[in-house]
Amino acid sequence: MGAEHTSVPRWGTERPAPDPSARALLLVGFGARGCAITTAWAADVPAGRAVEVLAADDADEAVLAVLTARIAGARVGWRLMLAGPEADVLAARAVALRAGVLDAEIRCAVTSTERKRVYCPHCRTTTATTAPVAGETPCDGCGRRLHVYAHVSRRAGAYLGFMADAEEVA
Amino acid sequence: MTATLPARTAARTGVLVLAVAAVADDVPGIRTLTLRRSEGGPLPAYPAGSHLVMDCGDRRNAYSLTGDGSPAEEYRVSVLLCPDGDGGSAFVHRLAVGDVVTASRPRSAFAPVSTARHHLLVAGGIGITPMLSHARAAVRWKRSFELLYGHRPGAGAHLDELRDLCGDRLAAYGSTPEMLAAVRAALADRPLGTHVYVCGPAPLIAFVEETAAELGWPAERVHAERFSAADLDPGEPFTARLARSGTRVPVPSGTSLLSALEEAGVAVPNLCRQGVCGECRVPVRSGRPLHRDLYLSEAERAAGDAVMCCVSRSVDDELELDL
Amino acid sequence: MTTALSSRVARFPFPFATDSYRYSTNVEPARRPVTTAAGGWGAGVLDVDDDYAAELAERRAVLAADPTRCQELPHMRVASWDALTTLLPELADTLPGTTSLDRVGDRWTWRNDRLGTARTFTVGDDDSLPEGPLAFLGSQIQDDVVLLDQREGALWADAGLVTFAADWSMGFDVGMRFLEVHGPVPRVHEAGVVQRAEQFLMRLQPGEEYRRTNWTMTVDRRLDTSTETYADWGRDRRLVVDDPALPDRLHLRVEVQHLIRLGVSNAVCFLVRTHVLSLRELATVPEWRQRFAAVLAELPDDMADYKGLTRFRGAAVDWLTSR
Ligand code: HEM
Ligand code: FES
Repeated sequence: MGAEHTSVPRWGTERPAPDPSARALLLVGFGARGCAITTAWAADVPAGRAVEVLAADDADEAVLAVLTARIAGARVGWRLMLAGPEADVLAARAVALRAGVLDAEIRCAVTSTERKRVYCPHCRTTTATTAPVAGETPCDGCGRRLHVYAHVSRRAGAYLGFMADAEEVA
Repeated sequence: MTATLPARTAARTGVLVLAVAAVADDVPGIRTLTLRRSEGGPLPAYPAGSHLVMDCGDRRNAYSLTGDGSPAEEYRVSVLLCPDGDGGSAFVHRLAVGDVVTASRPRSAFAPVSTARHHLLVAGGIGITPMLSHARAAVRWKRSFELLYGHRPGAGAHLDELRDLCGDRLAAYGSTPEMLAAVRAALADRPLGTHVYVCGPAPLIAFVEETAAELGWPAERVHAERFSAADLDPGEPFTARLARSGTRVPVPSGTSLLSALEEAGVAVPNLCRQGVCGECRVPVRSGRPLHRDLYLSEAERAAGDAVMCCVSRSVDDELELDL
Repeated sequence: MTTALSSRVARFPFPFATDSYRYSTNVEPARRPVTTAAGGWGAGVLDVDDDYAAELAERRAVLAADPTRCQELPHMRVASWDALTTLLPELADTLPGTTSLDRVGDRWTWRNDRLGTARTFTVGDDDSLPEGPLAFLGSQIQDDVVLLDQREGALWADAGLVTFAADWSMGFDVGMRFLEVHGPVPRVHEAGVVQRAEQFLMRLQPGEEYRRTNWTMTVDRRLDTSTETYADWGRDRRLVVDDPALPDRLHLRVEVQHLIRLGVSNAVCFLVRTHVLSLRELATVPEWRQRFAAVLAELPDDMADYKGLTRFRGAAVDWLTSR
């Protein structure tokens, strides 16, 4: 995942392959491009491994609930692979990490970074946006203009936003 | 579990002076020492799986502490007599109540992983000692665990107290094939979130590591007790030659170049004395530095023209410094 | 007033040893007294001063308004107990006479007359301290606390009680790796500063204590300059520039940060004790006035920007050098 030096994930240009040591895998694809990747992954998994493939439009509550249930029943040797837009991959990865899955057990392929979730520390609302890093977006909760900061929480799967004009004098 | 390290002669910080308060030989060939501060009082707390480095005559041995690690007035270690070993264990087996030994403060290199949902403890022979500590801490802090313990028939150190402590979470095996089969079965089917810890003879450690890898355990979930000599290495003696004054400063094993320079009246700026802050860099004119710091870059190390004198030493018998 | 003021100056941990400041892994062993041009600091780990009760009242108010300042991932409870049981005895030693600690096994009774606190609890029993050990600790010491777990070859900021953050958010950062926490800081990644720091911290042995300082500037004696309340204090950075009260409103803010390896849990306890001194107070020490002016004037723009000094640093340098 290569996010070594900052908290902002840097998705490599190489698409990861299924971990050959996995005994069971859950592949989750978001959107058409994500699902095309999970299909390709499924074909690459060596014979004899249990593979389940989930397809979803985005990381909505329903698919995240299935993911949570699968993790609860998983045994060591299980791996998670996520493919799709960054916002969905981060949201699903956050669920997995919170449930105790290790970085080493998750592989991701990101198909676009356009959409983001931005967390507002002033009112604790998370807003979906297409603003770039260092751009601005209004907060859905408090309406403040948020500066999208290059800082990402793995647990929240969200960027930090902070009030863009806090230092302006009215 | 035990590891032998070269003796360290010079003074060092944080030494514990401990008196032998009790000696027990419950199992033939295995001696349990109870140690207390000579002057009494609490001893430092430690994470489960920690060890002491004890001075044993001309050796220093690392012995696992077997308590749960909470602050207490005594430490316990159990030592297997190795008749053809290095002499450290024989030293321990000659100790009697009232004898005084010196040891390092506890060192941790095998702590339980706090996020684990379940701890699978695997011990072979005297490798039970850090696992006893893990099991006690798991009971104290209500962690989910199980212990697989392989021992020679009749020679299971701590078996009775383990039965009391662990109840049905303990499975003890007097035969190696049975033990290995149980280990394989456990590794084949444990909930995601389990971590496995192993201590014992090298073949057991290798078996656990290989089987776990084969069954898809990521290395991050597999923990083996290995005493890292690098941590404790006092280094070979050498001489520092100060080019400007022509002075020769001997640097004995166990003394840092920085301390030797200071003792010789040469002031060197320093802060961390751990090889990370970058303050104590000194230029090298000749001789090959033995870099042990975290500060210099690969290129700077390769150039060999500077050394972080708080931790680094010399490959050659003599290191010429531009001081 | 004069005595309070001069005692604040006398105890202030002025952090600059030279006329220019760059980031480094500036760690040193704790408890070493430092002599400054005005007095000294640093003989102990905890530093209780005249603002003790007022700052703890402020912490209570901040927490009441925003409980997210206190974070504890479920696996960090042992570390929180460990921090409490390590630091309460330390506080008792720091405040003899006005505090007392009685221990009968795991049953601890703590009395703190400076705050009117009297509590009895059982170590490890969550019901005996309903607000949790971390929150209770934070009600007794002025330091902010972050607890870092060590696993997967990294440190993780998995718990913390931070009400006096210098422009960051514990609520957002909880659960991050050490390197991720430092993601927004310029220069330190390229320079290897935080990577070295993490390596160093991961090697800390049970009970080892180090410290470092960090600094920034704050308008007024406002300790809660967290990201959460940026809307309340951000504007002052601009308003102070033309305020005739600038030398009284603008403060050098120094954090004395301790890094302690907790014995039982193996967590690294990061304590941040914030000291603020107005430019006018600081200027009562001529060496400090000159040195801080030089440091501020020389500081590279990216570092000044990151620290949030850009709007007022010119005005601050002008005032410091015009005297
Ligand atoms: C030897 C240890 C450490 C070193 C060398 C170090 C270094 C630094 C430096 C240079 C900065 C920039 C400060 C500024 O310019 O104002 C910083 C910021 C910070 N440090 Fe550390 N640090 C250390 C330990 C820690 C620990 C243990 C934590 C606990 C989580 C921590 C949390 C932070 C945070 C939250 C920031 C602010 C980052 C932001 O802007 O969001 N540091 N650190
Ligand atoms: S004193 Fe810090 S690197 Fe040597």
